[in-house]
Amino acid sequence: MSEHLYIGKSIPRTIETEKVTGKAVYIDDLKRPGMLYGKILYSDFAHAKIINVDTSAAERLPGVRAVLTGRDIPDVRVGFFKDQTVLKKDKVRQYRDEVAAVAAISPDIAEEAVSLIKVEYEELPAVFDPYEAMAEAAPLIHETDARGKPVRSNVLPIPWRFQSGDIDQGKENSAYVVKDSVSTTWVNQCCMGTSGCIAEFDSNNNLTLYNQTNVIFGDKGRITEYFAQIGLKNKKIRVVNPVVGGSFGTKLDTDIYEFICIQLALKTRRPVKILFTREEEFMALPPRQPALFDIEQGCDKQGRLTFRKASALLDNGAYTSWGVTTPSVMMMPMSSLYRVPNVSFKATCVYTNNIYCQAMRGYGNPQASFAVETSMDTLANEAGIDPAEFRSINRNVEGEETPMRLKITTCGLKECIDSVKERLNWDDKKKAPKKGRGVGMASLIHVAGGARVYKSDGHGIAVKVDEDGYIDVIESGTDQGQGSPTVISQMVAEAIGFRPEDVSITFGDTRLCLWDAGTHASRHTFMAGNAAILACEKAKKQILEMAAEKMPLMIKKGFKKQKKKDPGFAEPQLDYALISNPENLDIRDRVIFCKSDPENEHFRMEVSRILRAGLHVGTGQSKVITADAFYDPPTEMLDRELKGNLSCTYAFGTTGVEVEVDEETGEISILKLVAAHDVGKAINPTLLLGQVYGAVYTGVGYGLTEELKLENGRVVNNNFRDYKILTAKDVIPIEPVIIEPEDKDGPFGAKGVGEPGLVPTAPAIANAVYDAIGVRMRDLPITPEKVLAAIKEKKNVC
Amino acid sequence: MIDYDYIRPGSVKEAIGLLRQYGSKAAVIAGGTDVMVNIRNRNMAPELLVSIRDLKDLCYIKKDENYHIGSLTTHRMLENSDLVKGELSALNDGASWVGSVQVRNVGTIGGNIVNAAPSADTAGPLLALGASVILEGAEGVRKIPISEFFTGPSRTAKRDDEILLEFEIPGEMENFGSAYWKHSRRKAMNLPLVGVSVALKLGASDVIEDAGIALTVAAPTPVRAGMAEDFMKGKPLSEEVLSEAGRIAASPDCCSPRDSLRCDAWYREEMIAVLVPRVARLAADRIKNR
Amino acid sequence: MKKLVISFTLNGDPVTAEVPATWSLLRTLREYFELTGAKEGCGVGECGACTVMVDGDAVNSCLYPVFEIEGKSVTTIEGLASQDGSLDPLQRSFLENNGVQCGFCTSGMIMSAKSLLKENSDPTEDEIRTAIAGNICRCTGYVQIVEAIENAAAMSREKE
Repeated sequence: MSEHLYIGKSIPRTIETEKVTGKAVYIDDLKRPGMLYGKILYSDFAHAKIINVDTSAAERLPGVRAVLTGRDIPDVRVGFFKDQTVLKKDKVRQYRDEVAAVAAISPDIAEEAVSLIKVEYEELPAVFDPYEAMAEAAPLIHETDARGKPVRSNVLPIPWRFQSGDIDQGKENSAYVVKDSVSTTWVNQCCMGTSGCIAEFDSNNNLTLYNQTNVIFGDKGRITEYFAQIGLKNKKIRVVNPVVGGSFGTKLDTDIYEFICIQLALKTRRPVKILFTREEEFMALPPRQPALFDIEQGCDKQGRLTFRKASALLDNGAYTSWGVTTPSVMMMPMSSLYRVPNVSFKATCVYTNNIYCQAMRGYGNPQASFAVETSMDTLANEAGIDPAEFRSINRNVEGEETPMRLKITTCGLKECIDSVKERLNWDDKKKAPKKGRGVGMASLIHVAGGARVYKSDGHGIAVKVDEDGYIDVIESGTDQGQGSPTVISQMVAEAIGFRPEDVSITFGDTRLCLWDAGTHASRHTFMAGNAAILACEKAKKQILEMAAEKMPLMIKKGFKKQKKKDPGFAEPQLDYALISNPENLDIRDRVIFCKSDPENEHFRMEVSRILRAGLHVGTGQSKVITADAFYDPPTEMLDRELKGNLSCTYAFGTTGVEVEVDEETGEISILKLVAAHDVGKAINPTLLLGQVYGAVYTGVGYGLTEELKLENGRVVNNNFRDYKILTAKDVIPIEPVIIEPEDKDGPFGAKGVGEPGLVPTAPAIANAVYDAIGVRMRDLPITPEKVLAAIKEKKNVC
Repeated sequence: MIDYDYIRPGSVKEAIGLLRQYGSKAAVIAGGTDVMVNIRNRNMAPELLVSIRDLKDLCYIKKDENYHIGSLTTHRMLENSDLVKGELSALNDGASWVGSVQVRNVGTIGGNIVNAAPSADTAGPLLALGASVILEGAEGVRKIPISEFFTGPSRTAKRDDEILLEFEIPGEMENFGSAYWKHSRRKAMNLPLVGVSVALKLGASDVIEDAGIALTVAAPTPVRAGMAEDFMKGKPLSEEVLSEAGRIAASPDCCSPRDSLRCDAWYREEMIAVLVPRVARLAADRIKNR
Repeated sequence: MKKLVISFTLNGDPVTAEVPATWSLLRTLREYFELTGAKEGCGVGECGACTVMVDGDAVNSCLYPVFEIEGKSVTTIEGLASQDGSLDPLQRSFLENNGVQCGFCTSGMIMSAKSLLKENSDPTEDEIRTAIAGNICRCTGYVQIVEAIENAAAMSREKE
């Protein structure tokens, strides 16, 4: 079949109507009978010994049902490196350390009770700078590791070291070499729905956790491990998503508040809800991982890259979550953004008393790409080559394997660079620059066909078709608002031959769903789509087998009926053999038809008629249609050298920006932003654009206005007034360009797009600023003060 | 736990009586956008809220030989008023940039001024326009220039039993224009890093007859840059004059910006010097475009 | 904790609530009336997720004391669709133009837009952006929200 009915169509989100009528149930709105409200007491110090915790006044407050401290619950270590306990007993290591928790009959009482808990601390010297934390005399954040062995340094023993080729040889082959240092800081994910969950035990101590997690099975796994150590081994756990108010990377780990919630529910034998206030969301939720980079690159006289050597220093904060794994993703742009033969990259992660970090949209790629693309620009400048031309010379090419052994299949990078150049009038602007105005660009590579970070990168889907021709899909991923219900219903409808409105989807319930590695790494459409196609193929096969069996009889029966009514009726002579073979049948728009005789009116029948005929048989031969598929792509895990083709395919893109800099105030205006993305195939163009626009805005915020301000480890701008996320008045004229080199591995050719929109935005802006005023901004966010200070410095030097 | 009672007096006199009776245990609430936040953040813990929101008598924008703006006029009303936009432009600017439409629909100019944040968006314009504040308390009605109203960060000369009734702005004559610029990191929902208001009266050949320059977030209270104003008076509206006025306004003679969470002092100083000329030009353009 | 009995009009119906005097309008709507469309995104009037209309004006219900609502008329997202369930042009347009992603900001966003379109049936892009400047969204980058509001305005004008 040549033309798709639904793929590539911008079908509206009617399946999500509840969101516009106020009926969608988020964790904020969810209530369970007898539910209590949990609140957490956070530390008053960045680094201190806990001498005493007095909960007596809190316990006496009417309405309080439980007060827990580190002494009341088993001392189980959790987290990526098992380096923290759920409630801190002996020591606090950061301001947002959880010291105690309360469950009460109302959130006001819980809050009041928390304020009545008296904690005595003995302050310890703290360290807030990763360089200082690496020094010999630095205070030790952790004295022992997870196994109780003494630790002598704040540097984490993580093997983030990547090497390919020969750096020294590369340097020798270079005509031009540049060195740069850049820095990125903490930013908050700013989900509009704050963090929270409801924990509820049944009478046999089996747990149901209503949770916004994007990794329902990962969450379940970590809680299972926790249960085994707190006397709840073999208890069942069900993790189920409510409607999720945004994720952007926040819901990939099992957070401490989830464990606290579970403990409160266990203690009180009642469902307990913990819901963060916005202040908590800013000061307690682990943000994006900051990183400092040193990067050196070289090229030959023709502008071909000869080597890339980089190192990163990560302020890991007090404990580990996914922040410490971001170097594994940083490796991707470091080794594979553009073609560079010799690469080395190492990352050092250091404990400090700052807030610890988790994932955020892009997961290390935005940080690393800022380093790579700053260096690309300075190198182009050094070599006297136009920055766009320089990138073109070194662009990734289909069919190649990168130093990280990533196999580049489809690659629309050339089209992306070219379209950015064209739409920005790049050449004209470079030839005749206006004062204070400039253009800059940056590209990206990101995983777009799954990401084998766990041993299984699988995704399971189950479908069942009821007798009326409706299809229920049980989907293992999480709907975070990206449009999955609509996109998946389009792919299912296309695959099976129904309409999108016939599809109902259940997401995120470990009791129903097969298994999924997680809705992360921009993998949802790719994975769910491929699994859906497989499952629907199976289901369709069953339907067509049923049709091959039933259709001829039903047609003949129909003719008999007609003859009875109208004796003059001449029964058509049909070749029933054509429709007795399921291979010769297909479904399109709810109708089964004959492939070799598609125009034959007699050989067409509505699917629902066949399904009912197949179910209501009367002889013990009835059938239902149900199928499932578990798709695990043909990719590999990173080996000891951190090399391996961990994704089926890769997304590419280029963002180009034209800016105007007010040289008196340092303010940067974005006159135009072109975001060109190689998406394989846009299943739903309008929804895809939504992902791009949202990601671009977050990227601009990352580049210009957003930063968590920490003073001695305490987040001081913990509200929307002082944390500058962009508003609707902050107009960014975005021109999206969608490039579709249909990918053979993607469902209907599609690749992932959730994160790419964000990645190259900040470096594109920084590069444009350089073009505008000759000043290189190396520190995000690029605030007016930094620009003004840099302009003044340049004036003083010249 | 947060607990308070409320009462909704039917008149100003009634309100004053209540304030007299309850003293520091009571707090006045109008639009509530400051008071409710302060209560939630535990910066305030009144036992009684005296609500004057619906005293419609205090909600007006009038002009006779002077301008009279009732204290309960909302920012939204000021934003939408053609009179304010045309003749008290700086005040229209200031009111238009307070928070968001949702905040402006209920927040009042009286509340903004009584809250007396050094960053208040209507404070600079009112100062530059030479406004006076009319208050009524148990001892009667009094009028004081707004420059004497702000006594410290978030502190005013208003007595506990007084209600702010009205802002009176001298009736402008011809060739008068004003503007306010709120320097911020994004285009909405901000507290300003620094605020600059300029009111100008131009005479023949564009000579500056009179000037009012007010700065916010540049001192413990909103302030007039008197020395810069004096410098400008009698001089032509030229680049050099405006530049110098900006430089004086940014100097310790006129202001004392400090480092804060939101911004460093040096940047605030630089911006005052850059923005005073720009805002003055904007005020002058408005005169020409009338 | 003093409780008060308060009467007002809610989505066209006369209602009475008995709630603590310290409650906000938001809390009253969500907990007393179980209308959970309006959300608490920040609790201090800085995000707009709680936006409802009071006498036609968009307000942050998290900052609106319930004791001030006596006799007034409140409209929430739940009151936009007709009695027969047919959606308001804004609701339809948000779905058709992808103005909704995670949906958390949507109730407030639509109410701000509704208030705008009530007083201005043909707003410019700048007027739309000003009307929703107090509604923070992380998912959409606002582009398709503005398009949705423009299209809803056009739809409503066509009807007339």
